[in-house]
Formats: sequence, C-alpha cells, structure tokens
Amino acid sequence: MDFERIKPHLPWITLLALVALVGISDTNFLRPQNLISMAADIVPLFIMAMGMTFVIYIGGIDLSAQSMANMTTVIATVALASFGIGAALICIAIGAIMGAISGFVTTKLLVPSFVSTLAIGGVVFSIGQWLSGQRALYMDATLRDNAFGWMVGNTAGIPHEIFIGTVLVLAGWFLQTRTTFGRALKAIGAGEPAAAASGINVTRIKIMAFALSGGLAAIAGLLFAVKLSGGSPTIANGFLLPAIVAVLVGGTPLTGGVGGVINTMIGTLIVAVIRSSMLYFEIDATRQQMVFGIILIVAIAATIDRSKLRVVK
Amino acid sequence: MNSFLTRDILVKWAPLLVLLVLIVFFAAMEPRFFSVRNFARIGISSAPALMVAIGVTFIIIMGSIDLSMEGTVSVCAVLFAFAFLAMGGTLASIAWLALPLALLVGAVIGLINGLIHIRLKIPSFMASLAMGFVGTGFALLLTGGDRIRIEDEAFRALLTTRWFNFPIMVYVALLFTFIAWFIQSRTTLGRNFYAVGGGEELAHASGLNVNRVRVLGFMLAGIFYAVGALLAVGRIGIAETATGNNFMFVAITSVVVGGTALWGGIGGVWNTLIGVLIVNVINNGMVVIGLPGYVQDGVLGALVIIAVVLSTDRKSVSFVK
Repeated sequence: MDFERIKPHLPWITLLALVALVGISDTNFLRPQNLISMAADIVPLFIMAMGMTFVIYIGGIDLSAQSMANMTTVIATVALASFGIGAALICIAIGAIMGAISGFVTTKLLVPSFVSTLAIGGVVFSIGQWLSGQRALYMDATLRDNAFGWMVGNTAGIPHEIFIGTVLVLAGWFLQTRTTFGRALKAIGAGEPAAAASGINVTRIKIMAFALSGGLAAIAGLLFAVKLSGGSPTIANGFLLPAIVAVLVGGTPLTGGVGGVINTMIGTLIVAVIRSSMLYFEIDATRQQMVFGIILIVAIAATIDRSKLRVVK
Repeated sequence: MNSFLTRDILVKWAPLLVLLVLIVFFAAMEPRFFSVRNFARIGISSAPALMVAIGVTFIIIMGSIDLSMEGTVSVCAVLFAFAFLAMGGTLASIAWLALPLALLVGAVIGLINGLIHIRLKIPSFMASLAMGFVGTGFALLLTGGDRIRIEDEAFRALLTTRWFNFPIMVYVALLFTFIAWFIQSRTTLGRNFYAVGGGEELAHASGLNVNRVRVLGFMLAGIFYAVGALLAVGRIGIAETATGNNFMFVAITSVVVGGTALWGGIGGVWNTLIGVLIVNVINNGMVVIGLPGYVQDGVLGALVIIAVVLSTDRKSVSFVK
C-alpha cells in the first residue's frame, strides 16, 4: 500500500479508530447522549479552528485567534446591554476587521503572518482588557435569553450548538468548493507565485482569508460568552493549541493547498475524543497540554508537504 | 538623497534614536522617570527578558524563529527549583549545582527543539511553538499547578543586594550579554549564524554543515532561556508554570524592535539590548506617567509591525506567508 494514497483518508480512520478504542474500554462513551454532548461542547473550538483553516490553507498562520475570542467575549457582554442581538453583528464585524488588518499587514507590509498576528493579537488583547476593566463581566440573564437564548438549549435532544456548527461548516464548505473565492484560495495554497501570475488578486484573497479567520474567531468567542453567560479578557486562554491541532490532525498541512473545513471538522472531533478519552483513562488534566503539544509535532511532521519547502527555516 | 541618510544608516541607528527619544519624552512628562531608582526598576524588569531575547536573537540571525521560550523558561525554572530545594535549598551548600543543571536543561530542550526542526523538516516557528506548548505542559505536570518558593538569602541576593544602586541580577545579565557578544563576533559558531542567515544555500555550498549550526543555535538559545529563567525566579522568589508567561511576546518584540531583521543575517546582541530597553522603557514609562498597564501590549504590537516594515528590504521580498 502506498502511504501517499492512504494519507487523505488518515484523519477519519484515526477518528473511527479512536472512537472504537475508547468505546471498547468503556461502552458508556458510545452512548448517543454522551457523543452528542461531547460534540456540542467542542463547537466553539471548531468554529475557531475552521477560521484558522482558511489561513493555514493559504500557507499562513493566525496566532491571534485566541486573543480575538477573548476580546469578543468582553465585547459581547458589554454590547448586549445596549444593542441586544445587534451585539452579535458588532462582534463579528470587529473580529473580521481586526483579521483584515492582520491580512493587510501580512500582504501589503510584508510582515510574516506569525508575527503580524502575534502583534495584532497583542493589540486585541489590550482592547479586551481595556473594555473589561480587567475584570470578569456577567451578562444579564433576561437580556441574554432574549437575544441569544436560541444559541443554547435543546431541540429534540440535540443541543443548538450542533445546529450552529453544522450551518457554519456547510457555509464554509460551500465557500471553499463552490465559489471563485474558494478556487482562488486553493490556487494560492498550491503555489502563490503561480496564482499571482495567472491573474488572481492574491492580496485581496489573502486579506479575506484573514478576515474570515478573525470573524469566525469572534463567533467562537460570542458562542463561548453566551454559554458561560459572561466574558473576561482571559476566558478563552488555552484555545489556541487545540485549534491549531484540530486543523493539522484533520489533514490541512502547514504548507497549505489541501484539506479544508471538512478536514478540520474531523480534526476537531479527534481533539474532542482525545480529550474525553483522557477522562476515561484517568489521565490527569495537567498532562493534556503536553499530550496535545506532542500530537501537534507528530501531525505537522506527518502532513507537511516538504516539496514546497526549498529551505526549511 | 544625501549620502549621510541612506536607508541602511537609518535602519542601523533608528532603534537607539527611538530609545533616546522615549527616555527624553517620559522624562519630560514625569521627572520621577529620570531617576536612578527608576532606572534600577527598568533594569530589574529588563534582565530576564534580555536573556531570553538574546537567546532568540541567535536563531533569528539564522533566519529561523524560536517560539518555545515560554515553555523552556517554565521547565528550567521549575526543575531548578526542585533540584535546588532537594539538594539543600541554599547556595552555600551543594545545591549551587542546580544552577548549571538549569542551564543543562535549557540546552537539552534546545537540542530537542533543533532536532525536531532539522530531522522532521518542520518549519522552526511551528516546531518551536509546539515544543513551547509541550514545555508549559511539562512544567504544569511537574508542579501540579503549585508555586515553589525559593527563599534562600544567597540566591535572592540577585535582587536584594545592590552595587551602585543596581541589583546583582542586572550585572549578571550584562555579563551574559558580553558572553553572547563574544560568541556572536569572536567565534566560528557566531560567524556561522550570520552565514546561514545571509544565504543558506551559499553557506551550504561553501561546505558549512548548516544543520549542525542550526541545532547548536537552538541549544545556545536554550541556555540563555535558562539564564533568563534563573533571573526570573531570583526576581520574584517563585518558580511555577506561569514563570514563562509573556516571554514570547516580549522577546520577539524586543529583538524585532532592536533592528534584527526577521529575514536573518542582520542585527545582533547589541540590537537586542537596545530593543529590550525600548520595550521596558515603554512599559515602565507608561505606568510612571499614569497610563493603565494594559495599553502596553497594544502599543508593542503596533511597534513590532512598524519595526518589521522598516527592516524589510521590499525589493528582495516578493511575498510572505
């Protein structure tokens, strides 16, 4: 068997194998109720990872996603009082604008994306701290239920987060496969100079990818704020690592060009299963970060397309 | 354009100029800023960051990047604290061995970092970012989230004993800065960093073992992170998982603001010294003139972007990822 031929199928095989493995050691894990609630819990992370996918798909990285979600929880909480459901639009708009600025800095000012997003992350973190007064804020329960009650709760036993995740993944999939924007993304991911030479407005597409990442990180933050009924400038800390892991184990390599949102959905589910398997195997929570760090290294090494890297810097 | 003000000269001296302007600005806003006591405060906050930033400078000169500092600093600090307390808990005893042990730990983490980068052919920013997460996770695993107090008088003298108004840790940092300068400009390894950064294929073609230089660079960076970890522990007397927090942002900001180009081959230890001082003068000055602390990250973020833009030769770079 040729490894290159199995490679695209590895993510879902891994997912099934993991589910089977955990399921055998504890059949409780396989109860539909458990699987559903596991999937619902991971939706905010998935949304952030999906945004990150677009940026990694074009060969960049977004290190500001976590700060962006942090800031959004604060903005959502602050804006809810005066704008109601309009707070959601404000959040998404600010996220997209900050993402677009990262994209602008990367493409127009030629600052590598890991530095530009780190820097914009710093700016965003400051905004979050300033707006919150460095405190944890809480949403008014009635206002929250009126404006965002539909985001949480259950219909026919299925948590609404799952619907939100499904709608977003379908939209992302449509964007990626059925629009010229998606085609252009693929062209840039496959080879930026060639894409530019064939007349694609590379700068615009890349800025849009960063804006999408920012906007989706903001939606993740918004959902998180609604779930926890409040916000703080550090509430989403610890999201960055699993988000990057989700994209990479899903099969979108750091070099970009292949993979996509469906891959990231599978990747996020792998992260979710690994997380809950740690509970089942009674692995201490303090080891999680180390485990995910190692998984990240393995995932990058397994997926990266070395023919694209003339020199590995 | 007249020949005294070419872009190269401007880029070379801009960081120092910025530092001087900042000092004059804050001194004018608030006279208390311009006092020996406040400079000592800036020195204390700069010392650990300087060590970490110098470590990553070597890597950036090679055109790579190392984002593992937060994890490395935490692991070094925590392992140092465990070893120090296990061997007696005072520098007057055999426990001083914990100091070289910490440096060794830093070197080993750097070695792993370099090997992952070289052997698995993963871009350094991602290899080191992942290693940083592993490091933080490892430190958390070791401490279980607890803080370890180091109360030894002799070790805390780093902060408490002052010569000419400045605590010993400032002099230690300066000593290691000189060592770094020596490595950079007077050793083959230092020259090789510049050779790799100036053009890897050329360096390779001229018979340089590029991979060996890279791994050694990561080890050297690890040792400097360990020194930074020791100074950070000496400053607050506590070793914990959070000891490494925020070093990544501060170190990268300092190196870039100091004028070391992300593309490699340009800049060095003195640039980083200036960069660290710029960052810490801004942090300190903003507090002194009464601005809230959280504005710093935003200002530094903007500064980084400006610094990278200024140091980028737009003719030689067609696109970035």
